[in-house]
Amino acid sequence: MFSFLRRYRELLIVGTLLLAPLISYLSTGHRGREPNFVDRAVLFISAPVQSVLTSTIGALSGVGSGYVALRGAHEEASVCRTGLAEAQAEVNSLKEAEAENARLKALLSYVEDSVDPKIVARVIGLNPSAQLQSIHINRGEDDGVRLGMPVVTAEGAVGQVIRSVGGTADVMLLTDPQSHIGGVIQRTRVRVTVTGTGGGRPLSLDLVRREDDARDGDIVVTAGSDGIFPRGVRLGIVRTPERPTVGMFLKATLEASVELNRLEEVLVIPVTMAMPSVPLKGAR
Amino acid sequence: MKFLGFSLLALLLLSVESVLVKTFGFEVTRIDVGLALVVYAALRCTTIEGACSAFSVGYLLDVFTGRPTGLYPALAVLVFLLARGAGVVVDTRSRGPYALLVAIATLGHALLAVFFSWLTSAAGSGHVFSLSGVPLQTLLTTLAGLAMWPLLKTIEPGERPEPGLLR
Repeated sequence: MFSFLRRYRELLIVGTLLLAPLISYLSTGHRGREPNFVDRAVLFISAPVQSVLTSTIGALSGVGSGYVALRGAHEEASVCRTGLAEAQAEVNSLKEAEAENARLKALLSYVEDSVDPKIVARVIGLNPSAQLQSIHINRGEDDGVRLGMPVVTAEGAVGQVIRSVGGTADVMLLTDPQSHIGGVIQRTRVRVTVTGTGGGRPLSLDLVRREDDARDGDIVVTAGSDGIFPRGVRLGIVRTPERPTVGMFLKATLEASVELNRLEEVLVIPVTMAMPSVPLKGAR
Repeated sequence: MKFLGFSLLALLLLSVESVLVKTFGFEVTRIDVGLALVVYAALRCTTIEGACSAFSVGYLLDVFTGRPTGLYPALAVLVFLLARGAGVVVDTRSRGPYALLVAIATLGHALLAVFFSWLTSAAGSGHVFSLSGVPLQTLLTTLAGLAMWPLLKTIEPGERPEPGLLR
């Protein structure tokens, strides 16, 4: 027995190293495992390196962009003044809408859902594998970030927490092929599912019936029915809707509201609903 | 010891890469710095040392993805074995052939990763695993491999004991 082990030592070791993870992958698929001690140690060591590098690069680019920004500042100021005037007009209009909205809510005895304070996190890295679209943030388990929590910016939805360990967490982006978010077209209230299609490509707008009203430029927001995102978070803008000659569904892409490859800071929404252990499919 | 050296170097390189990729906004592609290490280990280390190093590099990449599944350690060991097989018939003692092998390994690794991702994706959700970024990924990884050559030689400067068929 021992002579057999000694004789085939190399083969056995290499075979185990090859087959053990492969069998694990084929049996669990793309769901992933819970972080173990080694994973935690790796993330514990790498997070400070990433944080320091991110800060250093940010500081250096800040100096460079500060100088560049001074050039042409006069023209930019002129453009800003015009933009400010337009924005002021829009604010006034929105104030009217807000007041009207408040009156209508009061009439309907609408009770605003209490929202916990959001957790502000800095993006410290991107996943180095091209097959999965995720980012690494500097807030984790210790800061109250939990698996399944939605992540947003002021512009709209970013993704969902898929792992939270110590002081860091990973967020699956909307562009990941496994991301499915329930949405609704703001203008027509038509329900849609927004699916990721991989990096560098627009999101896909799925399960929209061909007779439904969806036009180029329509804004899509979260429906709040998928157990992940709260209602009304902006997802993107409908582009190039086509009604194929055959098939039940309309074909369209969605231009994400957030520039996902240029994220700096994000907000984690600490929702209190039951957290899914795997990414949920969009509800329809 | 070499295994530890490769693991620490892989950890450092992956940490740096994840930040650089974010900074430069590589939306479509990545640089597989780990693969350059795996190929080097295949050419310069003993089988067990190299296989353990490859597994370690793959494991780290798996952890960095945010959703560790076991795919990358398996692929890293597979690439190690294939590169080792190629190293027997090709003279890879110099920088050029090493770079060529890194390019082939990156291409093979990307194709295998896409294949396995497609194989295990749930019905209706796995239709989109793009190969459009692979050529750029291959180029960038090859360049990274070339840049890392002097660094790698400090970990394992020796040649493989057994000569290749064409040496």
